[in-house]
Amino acid sequence: MMSKKVYLSVLFSAILFTGAGSTVTHAQENTAGDVARGAVAWTNNCDRCHNMRQPNEFTDNQWRPIISHMRIRAGLTGQEARDILKFLQENN
Amino acid sequence: MKIQNSTIYRTIIAALIAGTPLSSSIADEDINKLKTELETLKQKVDKLTTQQKSENNVDSVLHVAGYAAIGYADQKNDNGAFNTVRFNPIFHYQYKDLVLLETELEIEIEENGETHTALEYATIDILANDYVSIFGGKFLSPLGQFRQNLHPAWINKLPSAPPGFGHDGAAPEAEVGLGLRGATYAGNVKVNYTAYVGNGPELEEDDDEVHGISSGGFGRDADDNKVFGGRLGILPLPKLELGISAASGKAIITTRENGMAVPTTEPSRDYDVVGVDAAYQFGQFDLRAEYIQQEIGDTTGGLADEGGKWKTWYAQASYKFIPSNFEGVIRYGDYDSPHASQDQQQTAIGVNYLFSANAIAKIAYEINDGQAGSANDENRILLQLTYGF
Repeated sequence: MMSKKVYLSVLFSAILFTGAGSTVTHAQENTAGDVARGAVAWTNNCDRCHNMRQPNEFTDNQWRPIISHMRIRAGLTGQEARDILKFLQENN
Repeated sequence: MKIQNSTIYRTIIAALIAGTPLSSSIADEDINKLKTELETLKQKVDKLTTQQKSENNVDSVLHVAGYAAIGYADQKNDNGAFNTVRFNPIFHYQYKDLVLLETELEIEIEENGETHTALEYATIDILANDYVSIFGGKFLSPLGQFRQNLHPAWINKLPSAPPGFGHDGAAPEAEVGLGLRGATYAGNVKVNYTAYVGNGPELEEDDDEVHGISSGGFGRDADDNKVFGGRLGILPLPKLELGISAASGKAIITTRENGMAVPTTEPSRDYDVVGVDAAYQFGQFDLRAEYIQQEIGDTTGGLADEGGKWKTWYAQASYKFIPSNFEGVIRYGDYDSPHASQDQQQTAIGVNYLFSANAIAKIAYEINDGQAGSANDENRILLQLTYGF
C-alpha cells in the first residue's frame, strides 16, 4: 500500500510541477490564433478520440465553446485551442 | 406584334422630335429609382453586417451538443430486443475565453418503459491561463481514457463498453469535487495532466461481502475522507499518448434503507485506484489499450471485513477502409473482481458504416466467457445507430 502512496505523491508532484512550471516558462509565448499552426494542431489532435469533424459543420460562434470543451477534454494548451479555432473559423 | 412595334417606333420618333427633355426625364426617374433601391440595399447590408459583427463579438455563447443512440441486442437464452434508446444533450455556455459551463444529461428508456434521467456531469471550468484550468462540480472520472473521452456512443467504436467499464465495474465513473487540468510542452513532448479531490465512492454490501464499488459521483462524503487522484498523459509523438492514473482515499459501506443508501457506522477502509493507458493512430489504424483497478482494504468489526480488487483491461484495434465508409473493429477485454459472477472475458468484433463522421451504424458480435449460466457467459449480437451533434 505504501508503494501506491509514493506513486500517487510522485504523480501529484509531477502534475503540480508541470502546471506551475508551464505558467512561468511559456508565459511570453502566448499569441493570437494562427491558421497554419491550427491546421497542424487540428490534424494532430482532433481524431485522437473521435472521427474528424469538418470546419463547415459549425458557425464561428458555435466553434468557440466546442473548442473550449475540447481544450479541457483532449488536453490542449490555450495556444493550440486558439490556433485550431482560428483554422476552423477561417475554413467554415 | 406589328401594332406594338409600330407603337414603339412612333414613340421613339415622337421622343426624337421632342428632343432630349423627354429622354432626360425618363433617365432621371430611373436613376432616382435605382438610387432609392441602392440606398435600401445598403441599409440592409449595413444592418446584416452590424448584426453579424455583434453576434461574433458577444462575450457569452450558448451551444447545444450531444449524442443519441438506439440499439438492438440478441443474446443467447434471452429475447432479442430493441434495448437502447438514449439521448444525451450537452449544454455549453461560455463567457469570453475565461469560463465554460458544461453539463450533460442522460435520458434513457428503461426495460419497464419508464424514462431514466441522470446528470452525467456538470462542471464550471475557469480557463486560468494557457496551461491551467480549474474545474469543479460533477465530472467524469479522468482516470484512464474510456470513461472520460471514449464512452459516448458516436465515439465508442463498438456498441458496448469494455467489460468492467460499465456501472459499478473496475473503472471509476464520476466524481464530485474540484480539480486542476491542463497541458504544456517539455521540448517536443506534450504533457497533459489532471489532479482532483472529491467525495469518493461508496461501497455496496451483499451477504456479508463488499459486492461492488459505486462510483457514479456522490453529493455527500459518507466517510468524511476525501479521495485525491489524477492522471498524467505524455505524447512523445503527436499521435501516441501514454497515460498513468492513480487515486487514493477512504470509502465506507452504505446500506439500503427505504430505498435510500445510508452510510453505516463501520470503519472506513482504504480505497486506491491505479491505471495505465495507451493510444496510437497511424494511417487508418486506431490502436488503444487500457488497464485500471480499484482496490479496497480489509477492516475489522464491519459488515464485510474482507476487501478486494476489481481490475480490468482491454485492447482495441480499428481500421477505416478508405475510400469506402466501412470500419472494422476488434476488442479483447478481461474483467476480474472478487466475485466470480461478475468476471468476464470478452472478444468483440464489429463493422461500422459511417454515414458521416458523426452518424454511424454498428453491428458487432461479442464472444463472452463468464460464470456458467450467467448472462456474462452468453454471446450476443448488437446493432446500434448513433448520432453525435
